[in-house]
Amino acid sequence: MPISYEIVRQVARDLYGWSLKKVPDDTLAALAEARRRETHPASQRTLDFMQAAARKAEQEGRHACSDAGFPTYFVKIGTRLTLEGDIRRAFVDGFADLVETIEPPILKFITHPLTLERSYMGKDMPIVSFDVADGADYMDIVCSPKALGSGRWADLKVFSYPTIAEIEAYIMECVLEAGSQHCPPVVIGVGIGGSFDNAAKLAKLSTLRKIGTHHPEPMVADMEKRLLDAVNKTGFGPMGTGGDTTALAVHIDYSHGHGFVPVAVCFNCWINRRTAARIHHDNRVERLE
Amino acid sequence: MSEPHLPDLPRLTLPLTPEQARSLKLGDTVLLDGVVSMTAGLPVHQRIAEALAHGGELPLPLEESAFFHMGSSCRQDGGRWIPNYVNPTTSSRFDAYMPALIRGLRLTSVGGKGGMGAACVEAMREVGCVYFSLPGGASPLLSEGAAERLETGWDDLIEQFRLSRFRLSGLGPATVAIDAHGNSMYANLQRRARERLPDILKELDERRQQASNASGPAAG
Repeated sequence: MPISYEIVRQVARDLYGWSLKKVPDDTLAALAEARRRETHPASQRTLDFMQAAARKAEQEGRHACSDAGFPTYFVKIGTRLTLEGDIRRAFVDGFADLVETIEPPILKFITHPLTLERSYMGKDMPIVSFDVADGADYMDIVCSPKALGSGRWADLKVFSYPTIAEIEAYIMECVLEAGSQHCPPVVIGVGIGGSFDNAAKLAKLSTLRKIGTHHPEPMVADMEKRLLDAVNKTGFGPMGTGGDTTALAVHIDYSHGHGFVPVAVCFNCWINRRTAARIHHDNRVERLE
Repeated sequence: MSEPHLPDLPRLTLPLTPEQARSLKLGDTVLLDGVVSMTAGLPVHQRIAEALAHGGELPLPLEESAFFHMGSSCRQDGGRWIPNYVNPTTSSRFDAYMPALIRGLRLTSVGGKGGMGAACVEAMREVGCVYFSLPGGASPLLSEGAAERLETGWDDLIEQFRLSRFRLSGLGPATVAIDAHGNSMYANLQRRARERLPDILKELDERRQQASNASGPAAG
């Protein structure tokens, strides 16, 4: 049975709605762990406040942040599936459905980059990336809203034949440049290699990985661990007013490329909004988070 | 009413006098009562700066007021505007306009998240103004401290951009992150992080070396 326009539209709507009203479980666990380790009383209080606000968002169906940002979707389509109807259109219409139905309402955040005019819709909105999953008979969709608060601090630099030390120094420079501004503690995504666009996508996808997981290759996992410790020695702390916890995680991924090496760094703020669902071949929807 | 998760914080009523502002220290954390004007909109900053420069009218009185970088959404309930939610927004994106606003309006407090730049810190020192850092992304709790929207100005703009006057009832925790004496927690933290960076990079080098030794000689 083909996956229909209707079901994708409904899942697109629901994923964005769910993502606004829940801080993911892995993120709540990481905040609790950060609170246990935090030594500054003011930062302990901030982390307590964050956790209490996150719980209230989920229990009472409230927006975790007033800024709904814009939705980004990552879609993986199993190659054993068949599709029926306009699947890209389903994301546009699902987003519009949410804008019409969500309570309390969301504000206008979709911004024309040249005129700064604001709306509930716009060119290429929502941002959707498609990929395929060989042999799978389901479609996985991840939704992650993005707003200025942490979005504006992402950066990308292209190196030629860099050492790992140079890559790590650049990542730390991005961390210092963002400083107190991105609603820390953040999740940091780093994409290394491939082409310019590929590195940026890897960085973004890395922020979506669950906190507490590491890259399967020890060399990269070691890099993640030592960079997390390094970031947390900067001292910016929760909400950037000082403390031990500036990041909850550093997630890195890489692609082979050529002699030029793009390195992309991006940030998710502490609410780390993210939801995911799987649409099975029989149109059954399974919420993954 | 004090929230159960913030039992011990002192209360301050806005707007502050310049003397009250000067008495506050970096790191003081309070809950805020009184009246504040808020906006999340760049156009409002541009319009105020324009009015100050050319003697234009402002839709709401802002002299010696509390002016916060916050977005808000409200619903009408029995003739009153009750907040659905409020949240601070990134203050530094208004850095180009804020020194003129702080001086021209003699603001006694600014609020938001992430802090403001050196030119703002200097203007705040001159007029007697503090910056309150509010937690971002914690809207369900923070919004409980925003009791009511009293009025709005520049209603041609989208809701979160309009100049909006709110009555507060324990908004916070609000931390004094820039004081009225030229001290900025953000500048201090940035400087300290810069000072620490050589040692942080050295430790990264050492741990990279250890990891490489543990995994044996590198191929190639």
